[in-house]
Amino acid sequence: MEKMKLKLLYSDLKPELELIEKELEQAVDSESLLLNDASLHLLQAGGKRIRPVFVLLAGKFGNYDVELLKRVAVPLELIHMASLVHDDVIDDSEIRRGRPTVKSEWNNSVAMYTGDFILARALERITEIESPRIHDILSKTLIEVCRGEIIQIEHKYRLDQSMRDYLRRIKRKTALLISSSCELGALVSGTDEKTAAHLRRFGYFIGMSFQIIDDILDFTASDQELGKPAGSDFIQGNITLPILYARRDPLIYQMLRENLNQDISDEKRLEIVRTIRTSAAVDEAKRMSERYLEKALKELDYLPKGPATKTMRKIAFFIGKRKF
Amino acid sequence: MNGQQIQSKIISMEIDVLKAVRQRTLDQLTEGPFVKEARLFFLLLPFFNGEQWSGKLETSARTVAIVYAALHAHDRVKEDMPISKEQQLTVLAGDFYSGIYYQLLAEGENIEMVQKLATAIIQVSEKKASFHELVIQQPEQVEETAIVIETALLNAFYEENGFSHYKQLMEQSLLYIRYTEELEALRDGKFSYVLRLLSETLTHPTFIERWLIARMETLSNGILESINDCELDFELKNILLHQIIPHRHSAEPLTREG
Repeated sequence: MEKMKLKLLYSDLKPELELIEKELEQAVDSESLLLNDASLHLLQAGGKRIRPVFVLLAGKFGNYDVELLKRVAVPLELIHMASLVHDDVIDDSEIRRGRPTVKSEWNNSVAMYTGDFILARALERITEIESPRIHDILSKTLIEVCRGEIIQIEHKYRLDQSMRDYLRRIKRKTALLISSSCELGALVSGTDEKTAAHLRRFGYFIGMSFQIIDDILDFTASDQELGKPAGSDFIQGNITLPILYARRDPLIYQMLRENLNQDISDEKRLEIVRTIRTSAAVDEAKRMSERYLEKALKELDYLPKGPATKTMRKIAFFIGKRKF
Repeated sequence: MNGQQIQSKIISMEIDVLKAVRQRTLDQLTEGPFVKEARLFFLLLPFFNGEQWSGKLETSARTVAIVYAALHAHDRVKEDMPISKEQQLTVLAGDFYSGIYYQLLAEGENIEMVQKLATAIIQVSEKKASFHELVIQQPEQVEETAIVIETALLNAFYEENGFSHYKQLMEQSLLYIRYTEELEALRDGKFSYVLRLLSETLTHPTFIERWLIARMETLSNGILESINDCELDFELKNILLHQIIPHRHSAEPLTREG
């Protein structure tokens, strides 16, 4: 339902997004039936396709050419997909978007090859663009995303980490790829530098807000809505913003400490989820997300008014209010 | 170029790879980048053999080594069961190395090589995936799988830079080394995907052993012929035959005439 609402917001882009969906399917076509199946399995699980949407919207500020924009949009979504397959191995996740993960449907090795295959397809595709600047931005983003993931593992189960640690981690893990989606969409469409910079910052702020909301939803949405068990972040040792706020209560801190990195029952998991959900931490985290959202909206003020700005504004509001 | 110079160039390439992918956590908690010596030897073979070599080629060769390291890291991830922290970081090490390969080539504006290597990674991933498919492969198909896994990245480098005349020697040698490892694994009763695939048609370990030895004999003869075709100098031939391919069954002492 929520995903449908989001899709309604960018219904103007429907034909372009359908084209990108087809391109994604073609991109994961493989001589190997197994890789084909595993990639399609992931692709058909859906997703918000938020990165291609931002590429397309950013393209509206320049010479909008979907044939050119898809050369950036498709690789960006493929990069995101590849990282998801490998993340599921790292987190030992059984379910994603309500469907078995590649690693659980097949095994870790197949998930590794699928991720490598999809990432290589992304790089193969992006080389259709010659601009060194595009490759410079994208390659640096790829590395930073990896650094973010490495830091995430370093920080796992560390209840004493700082807010700054968390923000730097989500910047790399999520915000940068969305920020690059906006910037690359702008650059391939030939916008001026200033516009591209505002769009890059918009993407960054919206990405931060998006990830914070994601982290909140892990405690506030149901298993069914999430397509995975609520509280998965905590179970996997990922210390997110709601936990960072909630730990200030000594009783909650004690509870978190006792259950972190333990094989806890489903009952205990739900108790932790309930405790965080009913604490002030969720509202505080929401406020932090809103601050990023405001910054994102401010960037839009510097851009020419028009349908693209309007849609971006709507998406920004939706991200702030989404329920799962 | 003498043996010592060749060894020191290989070591220097290993160090360059290490430096290029340096990351504190990965350095501390993972095995680090690993590339088989024979692969590095063949990567540098054109240089050893006096072909024109530039900074761009050196970077390009380094990125091939980095991709080998990336794929090797992912091969180390255990097939089943939840993985340890070291294994989690090994997954990310592979991804990180891939990012570095892209960045190094992007910095040098060598986008064509990015594309060539990406295509090679696709081929390798497809062949590795075939280890997990329920399709019976004939020994010739298994050999094709092993060739692609061992050589696709090097071939991309050779093709891109006009070194295709080394292709045959490289393929024969790396396949020979692979079969040596498989034979060892078979005799030690160890598991390997190649052995599992071979056992589907060759059914008994003795048959697999015979097949591997026969293929190695053929490859060994082929290597000697290819060495002459490539016009390698005496030192280079010697190193190839006695250090890079140390287990050659029919390795004979070379004369100065080869």
